[in-house]
Amino acid sequence: MTESGAQLFARLEARRCLKDIEPRLFPEDGGPNHGEVVELYGPEGTGKTELLYHLLCRCVLPVASGGLEVDVVFVDTDYSLDMLRLVSILDNRLSAARSAGSPSAAADEAVLRSCLSRLLVVHCSSSSQLLLTLHFLETTLTSRPGLALLLIDSINAFYWLDRSEGGASFARQEEKLSKCAELLGRLLRDYKITVFATCHAIRRSYSGSSSASSSSSTSSFASTSTTESDKPFLCRPWQRLVTHRLLCSKQEAPKNMAATAGGSKEQKTRQVFTVSTASSSSSSKTKTFRSSSYYVTDGGVEFIGPNTKVS
Amino acid sequence: MVVLREGMCPGLEEGLVRDLRAADIKTVEDLVSSDMEELAQKCSVSYKALFAIRRVLLAQHTAFPVSGADLYEELLSSTAILSTGNPSLDKLLDSGLYTGEITELSGGPGSGKSQVCFGVAVHISFHLKQSVIFIDTTGGFTASRLLQMLQTETRNTEEQMEALQRIHVFRLFDVYALLDCLYSLRGGGLQQASVGGGSVKAVIVDSVSAVISPLLGGKPNEGDISFYWSIIVHHTCGCVYT
Repeated sequence: MTESGAQLFARLEARRCLKDIEPRLFPEDGGPNHGEVVELYGPEGTGKTELLYHLLCRCVLPVASGGLEVDVVFVDTDYSLDMLRLVSILDNRLSAARSAGSPSAAADEAVLRSCLSRLLVVHCSSSSQLLLTLHFLETTLTSRPGLALLLIDSINAFYWLDRSEGGASFARQEEKLSKCAELLGRLLRDYKITVFATCHAIRRSYSGSSSASSSSSTSSFASTSTTESDKPFLCRPWQRLVTHRLLCSKQEAPKNMAATAGGSKEQKTRQVFTVSTASSSSSSKTKTFRSSSYYVTDGGVEFIGPNTKVS
Repeated sequence: MVVLREGMCPGLEEGLVRDLRAADIKTVEDLVSSDMEELAQKCSVSYKALFAIRRVLLAQHTAFPVSGADLYEELLSSTAILSTGNPSLDKLLDSGLYTGEITELSGGPGSGKSQVCFGVAVHISFHLKQSVIFIDTTGGFTASRLLQMLQTETRNTEEQMEALQRIHVFRLFDVYALLDCLYSLRGGGLQQASVGGGSVKAVIVDSVSAVISPLLGGKPNEGDISFYWSIIVHHTCGCVYT
């Protein structure tokens, strides 16, 4: 296909590599490279959208506040983008990174506005609209060389709609999402962007609390086995695109009774979310794994490091 | 899937549509995804014309990207916070119901969900003087209960009647009727309902589980409901559904 000089230049010019987008999530030097797709998978309420907001803020914030200053496109398929939450996370990060000198409110507003102007939001209401929007985004990609990240929340919003429209044949059911996945693949190859997508788990695991005899065996399997509910269910073209798969889950926080000097007991329970990453990048043929935990606070996602006390 | 028809955009005549169908291009998606040069040769039409048609169709059917800053501005100017009439409930909800959001009330039978819905409806129609749409799927809605609640607010029967008039009730008993109703509300029914008093500020559904639970035996269809629901939320309404 013919393209103008500007388009050629925009395509070849290297976009910002996002390997260092969140080193706590990915294995050593295993962050998402150009053209790689990360899938965040898990049931509802496990923090996938929060992680997405965390990554979004990391990308749009100015370098002085710990960001990467790249443009981001957020594709919202279930109208669940919470701008107020996003702005409060940005505010928190900006004020945390602000220097001791007294800042003016106007300057803060201006920085917030410049961060938000790096974000483009698209709402899609069906998978055919998603397909057309991805075609349209191609022109946006050529006109914005600073665009390095595409976030999709969530990729399987139309799963049941497509299945009911496709009738009895699996091929027709998966047709639309396959086309979207193929188009995404082409965009990734040509423009070298990175894609993060959330996927809701549709099958619940009913294992519940296992008996004492099997609990020891399950704990040793925990890092390598995938239960029924974690098996990927979307179409093959999408599964082939995914290089990193993050399984998100929620843990019951252990009740911590801390005795203070006065003898009264305090009980602090904070919800702990865990994410386990399975990466199969093209450079290393082996699969690498990494596990991390975090809290969700007012200021966004807070990772639990080796030095943090789990409360 | 949008089927290609003549007249959809300038340049798309009957002859061209026939040629495209012969080349196995029946929908807008097919046209947009296929190779323009090859198609122009097959249908013996100029590449420029076909490219222009593709561009217009894409612009017509795509979701348009909005800058985050503009979205935030719009949100700041159009979001309103509706008080529920109950100060402690307001405190729980972070000062009230936000327009553009869905609030779900869930609980066992007899735990007061419908009463809260009635209270919210009465508060919005009487104190805020705005219209409310109440969708009743259980048959548990009685105007006399609303009147009783209004009588504690004011003794003036005129005001009571006015407040009652601002509450529009729909009685539906299966999920397809609910989807149709939501769809028609999205298509302009909200403007129609606003003719009487102030604009519609809240849509209350009591209850969603009553229409969905008969279906849960088989494939879960909640995708449909939340799908239409999310679209309707974008008409600047604070929604409450139990």
